[in-house]
Amino acid sequence: MAEHVILFTGPMGAGKTTAIESLSEIEVVRTEANNSERHIADKPTTTVALDYGEILIGAEEKVRLYGIPGQKRFDFMWAILKKRAKGMILLVNSDAPDPIEEMLSFIEEFRELYDRGGVVIGVSRADVVAGPTLGDYSDALERTNPDMVIPVFTVDPRNRDQMENVLLALIANIEMRAMFGMMTTEAV
Amino acid sequence: MSPGLHTKPAVVKAASALLTEMQGVSSSLTYAALLTDDGFDVARLPGETDGARFAGMASSMQALGDAVTHELKIGNSEYIIIASGKGYVVQLRVPGKELVLSALWDNDATVGNALAISRSYAQKMADLLK
Ligand SMILES: Nc1nc2c(ncn2[C@@H]2O[C@H](COP(=O)(O)OP(=O)(O)OP(=O)(O)O)[C@@H](O)[C@H]2O)c(=O)[nH]1
Ligand SMILES: [Mg+2]
Repeated sequence: MAEHVILFTGPMGAGKTTAIESLSEIEVVRTEANNSERHIADKPTTTVALDYGEILIGAEEKVRLYGIPGQKRFDFMWAILKKRAKGMILLVNSDAPDPIEEMLSFIEEFRELYDRGGVVIGVSRADVVAGPTLGDYSDALERTNPDMVIPVFTVDPRNRDQMENVLLALIANIEMRAMFGMMTTEAV
Repeated sequence: MSPGLHTKPAVVKAASALLTEMQGVSSSLTYAALLTDDGFDVARLPGETDGARFAGMASSMQALGDAVTHELKIGNSEYIIIASGKGYVVQLRVPGKELVLSALWDNDATVGNALAISRSYAQKMADLLK
């Protein structure tokens, strides 16, 4: 059985835990603690270690879903989780003070997941604050990382179907890049 | 509860005083910290440890301990111990509070003794916050 390990990254309140709750077919392993930073993300709890869920794609492919804590002070967890993942869904909340900057810093931090698998970006909470357009995100990526090809979607992490589309896009992207990588090494 | 206990000067002061008192009880206590459930350093004993970073780690460990006891259906975690060749960490929740006490002991202390002292000071902290 094929297996994927996907990491959900992005800032506090982007919807990583929500997305894993929407997608997972098993009871999600949660490590929520009371949130004392309501001024940054107005929600009762925040993830302090990891989220973990699982979903089957088709009948064959098991996908393990891990979520990080969004705050930099938990970057030791980022290092642990980064090591086991082979692809990333980067969620950025449109209502963050500077969502484009957030996106770029998480891309930088988790660059090895692009190299090892693939990355897609989901812009969440666009219904709360419209924020930058998808074109703005793509332009910023193109400007800072011209070598990377990363699809950007608008997504509501509370919506299972939307999340599943993003996940399928990522898996297709990972598989395509793996195949392309194989073809180019064979050609050399 | 919000804002966090680390932002309340009276709590920070009382927590620091309590940790100092705790150190007076056992010379084997080499480091101790009180931290919020979401990883903010409330008070710590002076030392080389990066208090902010350790508070984040200790809160993750606390939450993972709770996730494990939940998964295994054995109720709530009462304490966590990490033993190493050079000492051990005893960690537990301040009863009824969004606060965790984590303490590092050298090998001259027994685990039982370290746990007893940690427990009693966690309870003292809870009483102070009443
Ligand atoms: N209106 C709206 N709300 C959303 C959307 N996406 C997520 N939310 C809400 O925003 C909050 C996101 O919280 P979490 O899922 O805890 O965010 P997180 O990324 O796991 O945050 P940390 O673990 O603290 O880093 C939840 O209350 C969601 O219901 C969206 O697209 N629109
Ligand atoms: Mg979360």
